This record gives sequence, C-alpha cells and structure tokens, in this order.
Amino acid sequence: MVDQAPVVEISDLTKRYGEFTALDSLTLTVDRGTILGFIGHNGAGKTTTIRILVGLARPTSGTALIAGADCVRQARKVKHLVGYMPDRFGSYSNMRVREYLDFFGAAFGIKRRVRSQRIDEVLDVTGSRYMQDRYVEALSHGMQQRIGIARTLLHQPEVLILDEPANGLDPQARIEMREILLRLADLGKTLIVTSHILPELARICNQVAILHRGKLQACGSLEEVTRQFQQNRMIEVELVGAEEIDRAVAVLSEHSDATGDVVPSPAESIVRFRTEKRDTELGNVLAALVSANVRVTQFREVASDLEEAYLTVTRGEDNGSSREAVAAAEPVAAAGGVTAGSVTAGSEAARAE
Amino acid sequence: MLSNPVVSRELLGLLRTRRSIAILAAVAVAFSLLIIARWPSDGVVDLSGATSRDVFRVFAYSLTAAVALLVPVFPSTSIVQEKQTGTLALLLNSPMGPVSIYLGKLIAALGFVLLLLSATLPATAACFTLGGVSLFDEVLPLYLVLAITSVLFTTWSLLVSTAAMTTDGAVRGTFGGVLVLFLLVLLPHYFLDGSESSLAGIAAILRNVSPVPAIMDIVGHADVGSRQLVSQNSGVATFALFGGMLSLLFAGMTVGRLNQTLLDRARSQGNVTDDRAAGVRVFRRLMFLIDPQRRKTGIGPLTNPVMVKEFRSRQFGRLHWLLRIVGGCAIVSLGLAFAATLGSEEWGVETIGGIIVSMQAALIVLFTPSLASGLISSERESGSWELLRMTPLSASRIVRGKLLSVVWTLLILLMASLPGYGVMIWIKPILEEQIIQVLICLAIGAVFAMLLSATVSSFFVRTAPATVASYSILLFLWAGSLLVWLGRDAPFGYSAVQTALSINPMAAALSVIGTPGFESYNLIPVNWWVTGIASGFLLVVLLIQTWRITKPE
Repeated sequence: MVDQAPVVEISDLTKRYGEFTALDSLTLTVDRGTILGFIGHNGAGKTTTIRILVGLARPTSGTALIAGADCVRQARKVKHLVGYMPDRFGSYSNMRVREYLDFFGAAFGIKRRVRSQRIDEVLDVTGSRYMQDRYVEALSHGMQQRIGIARTLLHQPEVLILDEPANGLDPQARIEMREILLRLADLGKTLIVTSHILPELARICNQVAILHRGKLQACGSLEEVTRQFQQNRMIEVELVGAEEIDRAVAVLSEHSDATGDVVPSPAESIVRFRTEKRDTELGNVLAALVSANVRVTQFREVASDLEEAYLTVTRGEDNGSSREAVAAAEPVAAAGGVTAGSVTAGSEAARAE
Repeated sequence: MLSNPVVSRELLGLLRTRRSIAILAAVAVAFSLLIIARWPSDGVVDLSGATSRDVFRVFAYSLTAAVALLVPVFPSTSIVQEKQTGTLALLLNSPMGPVSIYLGKLIAALGFVLLLLSATLPATAACFTLGGVSLFDEVLPLYLVLAITSVLFTTWSLLVSTAAMTTDGAVRGTFGGVLVLFLLVLLPHYFLDGSESSLAGIAAILRNVSPVPAIMDIVGHADVGSRQLVSQNSGVATFALFGGMLSLLFAGMTVGRLNQTLLDRARSQGNVTDDRAAGVRVFRRLMFLIDPQRRKTGIGPLTNPVMVKEFRSRQFGRLHWLLRIVGGCAIVSLGLAFAATLGSEEWGVETIGGIIVSMQAALIVLFTPSLASGLISSERESGSWELLRMTPLSASRIVRGKLLSVVWTLLILLMASLPGYGVMIWIKPILEEQIIQVLICLAIGAVFAMLLSATVSSFFVRTAPATVASYSILLFLWAGSLLVWLGRDAPFGYSAVQTALSINPMAAALSVIGTPGFESYNLIPVNWWVTGIASGFLLVVLLIQTWRITKPE
C-alpha cells in the first residue's frame, strides 16, 4: 500500500537572475508514488525548479520541501532523499561501470558489503548487468542513460528527478527507458521527469505540470489536463468514397458552428471539423448527413493529446491570454480533489495505456 | 595559400577569441615595459653600448621564453578539438587532402606567431635605438631563431594534437615536449661537458635541438655562465639545421596520421581477466604484476573515495602504469648511481647530485601540472561536478581526496629516484645533511606546484586552458628565475639573482648540493619560507574556491 502523502512540496518558489525571473511563485505538491511529467519550453523554468529541489540552486524566495526536509536549509539531508540524473551523463574516463557505481556508492557512505549488493540490484533494475565491466565512456547514449538511472538509485532515494531521460535515444532504447521508469514507479518511487517528447511522457506519467515562462500553467492528471485544454472537439467523418466529399462539406458547413474549420481530405475520404456542440447536437449533424444521402462509414471524435494541450496552453500565454489559461488550470486541480497546483497519484490506467 | 579555406577559418577564428587578443596585447605591453624599465634615465651617455646590450640580452631571453610558452597554446588543441566536435570527419571527407589540411592549420598558427612577433617590434626598435646592438648580427638572427623555434613548436603541437584523445591531454603532451625540446636537452651536455665519453658526444649533439644555445650565441653569452652550451660552429646555423630537420619530421608524421584511421577506433568491449581461462590469468599476472583488466574490489571503508576515483579514472594513475613509471625512474636513478660510482672522480659528486636534482625537478615540472591542473576543471567540463555536488561529500573532503591522489603519485615517482642519493652519501658521507635539505626543497617544490595547479584548476571550467595556465605560471616562475640566473654577471647582479632564485625550490636544491653555477647562492631557508607561505596561501584559496563552487548557486 503506497502512502499518498505529499513528498514534494513547493510553495511560492521564485528565482530571479538580476532582472530576469526564471521562476515565478511556483506552488506545487507531488504525492508519493506519482510519475510527474514536467513540461515546458527551453527556458520555461523546469531545470531551475529541479536544481532548487536537488540543492544545486538557491531560490530567491519561497520554499521547497522533499519528504519534509527543506532543500536549502537541510541540503545534506535532501541529498539522501533525492536521486538526480542531469541531462549530461557526467562520465569519468578509464572507469568501468561497476567502478563508477562503486565510487558514487562510497561517496554516499554506503558500506562496502552492502554497496556491492546494491550495485547488483540497481544494475538488475535498469537491465544493465551485462555492461558492468564496460568502460563508461565507451557506452552508447542509451546505455549511459541506464547507468545514470542506476546511479541515482544507489542510495535508495525516495524521489527520482530525471532531466530529459529519453533525449537522444533510439526507439528501442526509448521503449526500454519507459519500461525502467514504470518499474521504478512500481517500486514505490516518486518520479519527476522532464522531457520534450510529449507522447513519450504521456505514456508513462500519471500527472503532468506545464510550466511556461516561469509560471505554472496547468497541472493535474493527464486526462484532466488534456480535456481541459481541448478548446474544441475534433470530429472526423469517414465516407465511402471521395465523391461524397463535396456534399459532406456542404452539409457540415450548414450544420457546424465553425464553418471555417471544415477540412476535407479527399485522399483519405475523410472530412474533419471542430465544434463546441455536445453529443446530442452532434447526433443531429450525423442525421443531416444521412438525410443528404452522404454515405458515412465512421463518425468519431479524435482524442486530443498532451501535445495539443501543451500547445494550447503555451500559445494562449504567448497571445497574452495567460489569465484564461491559469483560470482554466485551477478547476483542473480542483477536479483532482486537492488544493490548487497540487498533483495526486493517478490511476494505474494512465500507465497501463 | 590564403585561398586554403582552413587558413582563413583557423586564423579568423583564432583572432576572434578574446584569449588571442589578450595574449597579443599582453606581449606588446610586457616587452614595452621591459624596455622602459631599462631605459637610461641619467645624463651619462653609454658610448660602449654595454647597457643596451644588457637590455637586449634580457629582451632576447624573455622573448624566447614567451615564444616557448605561447606558441604551442593554440595548435596543441587545433586537431584534437576538431576530432571531438566531429568537424575533422567533415574535413577529411572534403576534397582537401591531408597536406592542404595540415598546411592550412600550420600557416594559420604561424600567422598568429607572426602577429605575436610583430607586437614585439616596437620594443625591439626601441632597444635598437639605444645603440650597441647590431641589426644584422643580433636583431635579425634573433628573429630568425624565434621563427624556427615557432615552426618547431607548432609542428610538434600539431603532431601531439593528432595523437591525443582529449584537449587537456594534448596540452599536457605539447608542453611536456616543449619542456624537453627547450630545456631538458641542454642538461646532459651541461653536466657532461669536458668528459671524453661517448655520452658526452651525444649530449653535445642533443643540445642543438634547443634554441637556447643559439640565443646565447646571438647575445654573446657563450662564455658567461653558459658552461659552453654554445657549439663551436655558429649556434644559429646549427639550430636552424636541427630545428628544420625536426620540424620536417614532425610535419611528415602528422600528415601521415591525418586520415580516417584517426577516427576509426572501436569502443572497448570491457574484457575482464577474471572471466578468462586460468592460463591467461596466470600469464597476465606474470606479465603485468598488477593486471589492469582484473575486476576491482570496492572502495575500502577508511579510504577517501575521491582519491580512489582519481587514481582509477587517470590513465597513468592505474597501478600498472605507476609501476612502469616507477620502474623507469628506478632504472635511470640506478644508472646514475652506477655512473657516480665509476666516474665520481671525473664528474664530481656535486655534478651527479645536480643531474639527479635536475631529473627530479623535471619530473615535478612535467608531471605535477599534468596531474593537478584537471583536478576540478575536468569534473566541471565533463558535467560530473554536478554529480559530486549531489553527494554528501564536503568540499574539504573532495579537495583532500584529489590532492592525496597527486601527493601519492608524486611521492612514488620521487622515491623511485632516491637510490642515487644513497650512493652519493656512501661516496661522500659529509653530504648527508645537504641531501636531506635537497629532499626538503624538492618536496616543498612539488607541493607548491601541485597546489598552484589545483588552485588554477578550480577557477576554470575547461581543462585545456587550466593546464596551459598552470604550465605557464609554473614555467614563468621557475624557468623565468633561471633566465635571470643565466644573466647573473650581466645585466643582473648577485642580489638580483639571489632574490629571483629564492622563489625557485629547484634552484635552492641545486645550490644546496653545490651544483656548479649555483654554489655561491645562499637560498635556504628563505626559499622554504617563500615557497611554504605561497603554498599555504594557495591551499586557502583552493579550499575557499572549491567550497564556493560546491554551494548552491
């Protein structure tokens, strides 16, 4: 049974570099056992947040706690609670993988006998046992990422913070990385993962937080965030043949509320349109198509994804509609049953996806 | 040649860096100040030109030292950097052949040297205006020797750059070679001069590789404290011959290496002896004594993990390499001891002592910056410093571990050359106290060199410039004071030389052992105080700087 008390508590966290505000009053809590996807453009403030959490940077104001320990005042304690994998591997030349892990184990004060067992365990968890005798600088990028995760696990931290773990990996390595992260979540670890590869994050995270220009724009479960930021539903109408396209477009333009958004694709025999209509109203649109003798094979809603939600949030902010975006974020969190800006451990469904 | 795209890219790229502008400006200012400092200020006219010749001597030596220190800086990383960034593969895949690529790099590097030497022309002109210095007999030959020296060191740097795998490794190899070509080739002749052995003949030829005898010939230092370093023939012509031949050899070797094989290296599969057949394991044990491919045990409970990590991650830090280096040192030391036993009457124990001290000093100058200048900068360069900061290790423990890894290595190396001293004490027991003082000088010198390099390292985020800075400062202090010693009769007086040598522990060791040329200086205990206080200061700076970069930003 996983204890779902908050393990990461960030309150009103602000970081300024001179005139530039890298992080603006960030408030966020992450429950134990959660895999949180931390999303944002380059320079959005993700790495700044992470560096404060792991004790590598000092906030201008606000607090960050990990398992109750203050990241600034109890930095030494926090080092034992957090495993951090930066986006750079941090290799030492002429060292074999086992020696590399042995050094970091010793640096964390793990006794020699325990250390040896622990190294075996983390190599097994990350599926890297076979490379224990290889030299770290000779490993491929994917292998180095695995060893990086193994290193973060050595001192059995409660929270793992991984900066771009899937960056630069080939498809096979990406799948393996996903499996490793899910395995770690099964072990009860709390994971904070940043990535630019949103479909990848969507597959492993049960919670997401979107950061833009240092401000938290949205957070909650994946479904909640994507649904909330879905401005219009995208409906796809598949027809028997391309010759039906013109008639279908005419009917849809007449009945749809967003005529400019009716997009035909003759090659696919598909017409797509965006609408704010509810299901019952959409039933009338379908009936109109049938009445006009348009032969429809499928009439379906296209599920929106994390990428779409992210682009909606950031585009809205760039267009000066930040207030609307933030206002939209609040009900999302409320829907999660926690205070604004908090994240709860989500269902297994998201991970099982 | 300017149509060669590598020339314009390299030279323009070089001139766009702040470092190159700073070097050019510093050279122009430093040499102008040197002339201004020696410019006659009284109303008496020196008709003999002795004053201006004194100034010219200092000027010539300083300029040669500046060329030796500055010329290799850029070409040493020129090819290895391209290897690391992947642009060498693009160059090799272009229609340009290895010769044009090499010439492009060589000409660009020499173009910078041309600017460097041009920056000294105003100071040279001022020196010439003082009178007493001949344009054709002194000024032009000086620039000719400097030009040949630049070509020699540039070709050497480019050769090392093709062989090295990292920029800091290239810098270390380059400066190590420069030290050998510039100074160490003089030592055998310095000590063996007058002997009729075949070794003395080889040493006499070897010295011509260095530009120093040619410079001494130009400034008329042949008989003043030179110990006949200058050959009987024209020093300039001989150096031009040897320097030119060596440059051609280095250039040929580099062009020969500039092909796809430079990039065609397999990744190590990480073979471990423990997993191999029993016969192979026994054979390797016999061959290596300490097999580098055996699986290591974990770091012990009372050991500083950073120290062990430093040994393991250093190419020459592995025990099997240390054993080889120690073996080499022991063989040389025992060879010297054997020579001392056979030839003590001919050479004198002091000369043998001088050779051993010089050998150890060379080891310290070559190895210490190489070991210590990357202690912190390499961690910051590779990104592993962030990982170290994430561990509970304190700044002082990190520094202790890193320094210990250098101390142990230096101690092992220096201990290996001790048997020679034992033989000296056996031949001349009265020397025991002096030898203890020599050992203290060398130890203090090694500690100073280590702390200087480590402190420099803590201020840099890349190892190559940290290594350049460490070697430059150390050579400036130690080789610079020896340059003052070279001018010990003119233009520098006894007290000036004594003061200059007081910052050089190696000179102190040579004076204690009574090496010819150093025996009249009394450098102990002033040298110990100066070096000790400087080392203490450096240690404090190192600890503060390490603590500062360990703290949250």
